[in-house]
Amino acid sequence: MPDSHRYAMLLASLPDHGPLFGAHQPPLSRLRLDERLGLLDEEDARCLRKLRALTEWAAQNRQGSDEEIARAAADQLPRLAHPFARELAAWRLEMRTLVCALRRRARGEEPPSGRYWGYGRWLAQLQRHWSEPAFRLERAFPWLPEAARQLARGDTLGLERLLLGAVWEHLGRVSEGHFFDFEAVIVYVLRWDLIDRWTRYDRDQALARFDALSTAALGAGPEWMREAAH
Amino acid sequence: MNELVIALGWAGLYGAMALAAIGSIIGCAIAGQAAIGAMVDTDSGYGRYIGISVMPSSQVIYGIVIMFTLQREVTVVAAPALFGIGLLAGLALLFSAVRQGQACASAIHASKTKPEIFGLSLAPAAIVEGFAVFAFVFALVLAGSIPS
Repeated sequence: MPDSHRYAMLLASLPDHGPLFGAHQPPLSRLRLDERLGLLDEEDARCLRKLRALTEWAAQNRQGSDEEIARAAADQLPRLAHPFARELAAWRLEMRTLVCALRRRARGEEPPSGRYWGYGRWLAQLQRHWSEPAFRLERAFPWLPEAARQLARGDTLGLERLLLGAVWEHLGRVSEGHFFDFEAVIVYVLRWDLIDRWTRYDRDQALARFDALSTAALGAGPEWMREAAH
Repeated sequence: MNELVIALGWAGLYGAMALAAIGSIIGCAIAGQAAIGAMVDTDSGYGRYIGISVMPSSQVIYGIVIMFTLQREVTVVAAPALFGIGLLAGLALLFSAVRQGQACASAIHASKTKPEIFGLSLAPAAIVEGFAVFAFVFALVLAGSIPS
């Protein structure tokens, strides 16, 4: 059977995503998705697991420093067997490096030094053009100027929408010409991850957590802050 | 040399059917897998998914008819024509069946999400079928002028 259609059954068994921001829940549960992904070859399944481990926030080492994460990514990425998965992972890590640079700059930090503060080919460019609004990368990343503006405004929800939308669109672009092959499976699963992440954002839960954090912070603060809180 | 020419004649004679059968096998397998996948994800319309998935089986029927039309005493005079017509018609049928299977798989996938485009989504597969019919009909026409 031609390689380009080896996952016809798997992909035909997966429901359509629909638009990213219109969904209230993923088109199928994680359990069902994992069950259907059981149709993948062992090698492809391993490659997909590694790719998701690199791109999913839930799988990241949140206690590690930027350098540890960048080193781990540089170590893991060449181990992805499929070139499409490698390119996609590199793109996502580079995107995160750009957002990291935006956040650092917004905090008033100086250009970071060293080799492992981020990942990818733009590190030197970022350091060189630290003071430029979009690091002179607006042609390669058209969403960067808007992201910088939203970060400056403190519009975190808008920024998250922008970033997720940029990833969604990139996945759409790279999936052109792939219908029933492993590349199409990768794109489907990464888009599922995006929808899952977006639909998990819970306003009420976020407010409750914010209240808990602010109460804890005020409780540990000076007396006048505790009085002001009441 | 004559033995080789005779062997090629037989290859052409059987090749039309064999190559078309290979194409139908691959095409039906691709579309059939998509149909099974679609059935896993939906609660109705199973019949039409299976119906679409067998579209690439027509090529093997064309191949059988071509084989019977070409069937005659394989002589040194007739063998080159049998080889040329049989082999090329078989290749055309093979590729059309594979591509039709892929078009059918896409049609199944698309009509599963949007049932209202079911008929229109079959147009590419029908066009590919049209080209297979061209290869079939003109193989029959040329078979009439093979020297005996």
